[in-house]
Amino acid sequence: MKFAYYPGCVAQESGKELDLATRWVSARLGIELVEFPSFSCCGSGFLDEANGILNVALNARNLAIAEKAGLDLLTICSTCQGMLTYANRRLENPTVKARVDGALAPLGISYSGKTRVTHLLQVLTEQVGADRIRSMVRRPLTGLKVGAFYGCHLLRPADEMRSESAEEPHSFEDLISALGATPVLYRGRVMCCGFPILFVKEPTANRIAGRQILDAKAHGADAMATPCPLCHISLDSFQNKVAKEVGEKLDMPIFHLPQLVGLALGATPEELGLPRHMVSTDSALQKLGGVAVPA
Amino acid sequence: MFAAEKLITVPFDVYRYDPTRGGEPRYQHYELRLAPHTPILSGLLRIRDELDPTLTLRYSCRSAICGSCAMLVNSKSRLACHTPVGPEVAEHGRIVVDPMRNQPVLRDLVVDQKPFWTRYEQMDPHLIPDPLRPMPEGRPTQMTPAQVDRFKETPRCIACASCYSACPAVEADPEFPGPMALAKLYRFVVDPRDGAHKARLQKIQTSGLWLCLRCHLCTEACPKDVRPSERIRDLKELAVRAQGGTEPGSRHAIGFMKNIEEAGTLNELKLVRQTSGLSGMVAAAGQGIRLARKKPELLKGPKTIEGIAEVRKLYAALEKDEEVPL
Repeated sequence: MKFAYYPGCVAQESGKELDLATRWVSARLGIELVEFPSFSCCGSGFLDEANGILNVALNARNLAIAEKAGLDLLTICSTCQGMLTYANRRLENPTVKARVDGALAPLGISYSGKTRVTHLLQVLTEQVGADRIRSMVRRPLTGLKVGAFYGCHLLRPADEMRSESAEEPHSFEDLISALGATPVLYRGRVMCCGFPILFVKEPTANRIAGRQILDAKAHGADAMATPCPLCHISLDSFQNKVAKEVGEKLDMPIFHLPQLVGLALGATPEELGLPRHMVSTDSALQKLGGVAVPA
Repeated sequence: MFAAEKLITVPFDVYRYDPTRGGEPRYQHYELRLAPHTPILSGLLRIRDELDPTLTLRYSCRSAICGSCAMLVNSKSRLACHTPVGPEVAEHGRIVVDPMRNQPVLRDLVVDQKPFWTRYEQMDPHLIPDPLRPMPEGRPTQMTPAQVDRFKETPRCIACASCYSACPAVEADPEFPGPMALAKLYRFVVDPRDGAHKARLQKIQTSGLWLCLRCHLCTEACPKDVRPSERIRDLKELAVRAQGGTEPGSRHAIGFMKNIEEAGTLNELKLVRQTSGLSGMVAAAGQGIRLARKKPELLKGPKTIEGIAEVRKLYAALEKDEEVPL
């Protein structure tokens, strides 16, 4: 398995731990990550609001880089996954394609639409497979109740993402089970984290994040896990402010998807960047009987 | 002739609540023998007509046209008249029916839609002619197919309020008008016969447009493929292009665009300044310092990508592109 690795902006900056964990897990599972320092930001949905055609063109450039290398693209962020897939979809419209081609051609770039965009969650569940992951687990996450938090753009709009059911997805829960943990089902798992308006109207964004964390908690979750670093910002980096907004103690550890996998495959908390979180993951680690990996 | 469909047992758990009588909402269990293709609405009406005349629900056309019977079926937004019982029983073993969200329950499955309609009315959802270009009298105004194409999705809306029910921004903030109201507004903003484009965009920029989370829950819930989240996206781009960064939301979108032009990748710290200005930076400083202790990269800023010149050329070619929306 070999992919053009598209880490996205946040995993290279404030969410560096996501990149660390992805590399650790990929090395273990034989996923080869080919790096392209020429990848740009996906626009994160914000660029699309300012200039839709520029957003598609910028992502067409990213997709062309992978296509030229003959590789599919691996994302580790629901929003990157959404934006790059959205660009692929828009480029199926001949009018849009002509406008984008017109802007790319003078740069000597062409994109024929072949690059498939795949999120790490999909690679783990569809290509590596739950059975193989289960067989490689060294520290089963037995007893840990984990609420999956999918992130909007991995799922919706479902006809554009062409993914599993957007209303009742189960891939993440299947993976959590394969790691030995117990998935928690709650409505909030397919809801929004509030991030897109965190810098527009923070109290509202925090109320939305709070609602999902409280929902997971009410259903017994010891921790939540997300395949999107933007959700991680809302749920972890801002959890102190979220707690204040909703007026409740939350103390909910939030794992990045590959951190949870890495933990089960035997990585140390440091190798996965867990100390970089704003909300301590210790309560979850204690449930697992500390951090020592059984021999 | 078709072979007769085998009947199946359909367990219903239906939300019951009468706020005028107090007490807590509860689920009432009913069982029917139905053909798998039977619409859930028909099942509910049989319960009401044969088992329990107190069950209260709203419906009319039974043909997915009137939008009255939107409700939650096993937690999913559905028109009850358009959803067969068979697949739900196969998937979930039963059919749990709840009233729509984000609207107060009047009784059982009937919700108070007043806020939904009020917000719609606040959009002035009718043509406002341009006084300088009066509509021709005695003959219809004409539009080109391309002009009609720009709002071909919105007239499909049947005002069932499924989008309003699904929307987390509606749930969290009374300022947000909701997906349907904004999709309808979009329809008038791009209608060439309407003379109030600018005023409409100006008004909505300061009254909730930028609270849309683009989570696409509305588009997923819509039974008519109106795709409200995409219409809201179009409205935002139109607002940005017509009026620039007048609000935190449009400033953020424009700030983001400029941010990527500089290094090709996001500078998180700089973006806060671009959206919120210096005063916003000061207000966010406490949280910023807390974050930077664990995440020192925040203060360093990103490495410029290779090929940034290509990115900037794309900007130069498309930044002034007037042909909107996509």
